[in-house]
Amino acid sequence: MADAAGPSQLFEQWRKQFEEGAQAWSRLITQTSAASPSPTPDPTAFWRPVLDQGVQSWAKLFAQTPVTPELLTQWKQFLDQWIEAWSKVLGQAMGTEQFAKLMGQSLDQMLVATAPAKKVVDQQIEQALQALNLPSRSQLTGIAKQLVELEDRIDRLEDSINAKLRRLSEREPR
Amino acid sequence: MAPERFVDVVERFTTGFAADAPAETIKQWQDELERNVRRMRNLHGLLTNPVEPKTGQTPRVEIYKRNKSRLYRYESARSRRTPVLFVPNLGISRPYIFDLLPGGSFIEHMTKQGFDFYLLDWGVFGPEDNDLSVEECVTKILPRMARRVLETSGTDELSMLGYCMGAPISASFVASHPEVPVKNFVNMAGPIDFAKVGLFGLWLGKENFNVDRFVDTLGSVPADMVKAGFKLLKPTMDMSTNVNLWWNLWNDKYLEGFQALNKWANEYVAFPGEFFRQWVRDFYQDNKLYRDELVMGGRPIRLERITCPVFVVGAKEDYIAPPECVRALIDKVGSREKEYIELPGGHISLIAGRGAAVHCWPKVSSWLGPRS
Repeated sequence: MADAAGPSQLFEQWRKQFEEGAQAWSRLITQTSAASPSPTPDPTAFWRPVLDQGVQSWAKLFAQTPVTPELLTQWKQFLDQWIEAWSKVLGQAMGTEQFAKLMGQSLDQMLVATAPAKKVVDQQIEQALQALNLPSRSQLTGIAKQLVELEDRIDRLEDSINAKLRRLSEREPR
Repeated sequence: MAPERFVDVVERFTTGFAADAPAETIKQWQDELERNVRRMRNLHGLLTNPVEPKTGQTPRVEIYKRNKSRLYRYESARSRRTPVLFVPNLGISRPYIFDLLPGGSFIEHMTKQGFDFYLLDWGVFGPEDNDLSVEECVTKILPRMARRVLETSGTDELSMLGYCMGAPISASFVASHPEVPVKNFVNMAGPIDFAKVGLFGLWLGKENFNVDRFVDTLGSVPADMVKAGFKLLKPTMDMSTNVNLWWNLWNDKYLEGFQALNKWANEYVAFPGEFFRQWVRDFYQDNKLYRDELVMGGRPIRLERITCPVFVVGAKEDYIAPPECVRALIDKVGSREKEYIELPGGHISLIAGRGAAVHCWPKVSSWLGPRS
């Protein structure tokens, strides 16, 4: 096994860069949501152990000679942990009241903006189809609903006939 | 010691790779190369000639239909006396996940264990179904389905098995229809206490989500919106799926399973508008089922009125129905015989896949078996 000091140093530098980057992001998030009462997510809390582990395993791997396909397995494991770490960070961010509020507001705005446009488009399509003497979606939907109601009534009739038949067969002398 | 230069590291790495490699290492690299060739071949096949996976192969007969809903009976030796009515989720996805592939199917497992197995397929809804409500499912569809099961099986009792939202729906049915002879009730990953339901609970909360405006504007919940909601719940899911696909792409068996699961995972089903309104308001926002405040068809729904043996299965990593909200059924039912187990896996892997075949299916069949 070769001496791992050199690569370790190199990876140590990378790790520092990553950490500084993550801390900068953390500061940015803290500033933007400083006014909010709920706790701010700390991405570095998830990120740091994963990064440390990744850096360590990579430093170890690069120091190994000869290189085996084990390297790829380790890379896959690192990738899995990296994705999992991001999943946790995102999950924590999306689990905040602020995110839920923001999403609700965006959806509301979208619906408020969409509703009048949708109404106008629906009306125009309806009129166009009527002019072309073609059935509209609402007419077809109406027919489908009637069919469902008819099916329901047949079911009820069938049920009551079956119940009456059962009672009759119970009364019949054996 | 002077710090090593990057070029030295690269040189040592490349030298180490090429020189003095033992025969075993060379063999390992040859195997890896072979795997990569197979990866490329399978990737080419996936892109140029995608094969439609054959899902839902367990033989079945349609015994009843009502509008879009179908009741299927599966072929089995029927060595167990009590039939099982399986109630999955309505909307969101198709139920063939429970009969994905031969050798990887919950339904096949249950039929092999001798259960007379019935599946309620709620169907794919269109705009004409926007008036369908949870209440109609509980008070009109489920009673009919249960009656058909009893009629066709020739028995006077049945077991009910609910999965995901099929569990609170069927629990509501069992609690409000004492005249229907339900012998056993199984809840698999079905949320009961919606105060503990996780991210969806937060997003759909009264303060954050105006369900009336949503349904009044859109009429229903389109499949694309259902998809967006679920993708948002786990944004890294697609990435990890693709990484795992690449990693296992050399494996033909994995690929077959992936194609089937991927087909299912991308086939979303819309929610009827009124169903969604009632589901969100009564269950997510007001938690009426757990609080005993739900009334359907004029009947109050009290979970304590479920007195048959109850088996509840939660999944440890379930972020759609976290185990604590599933487990809540145990504390609410009036049954003397009740059991809760928590198994490894998520909401889907609890019921489908290799893990399910090892952990979940045998547990469910072995609990139901002696009681059937």
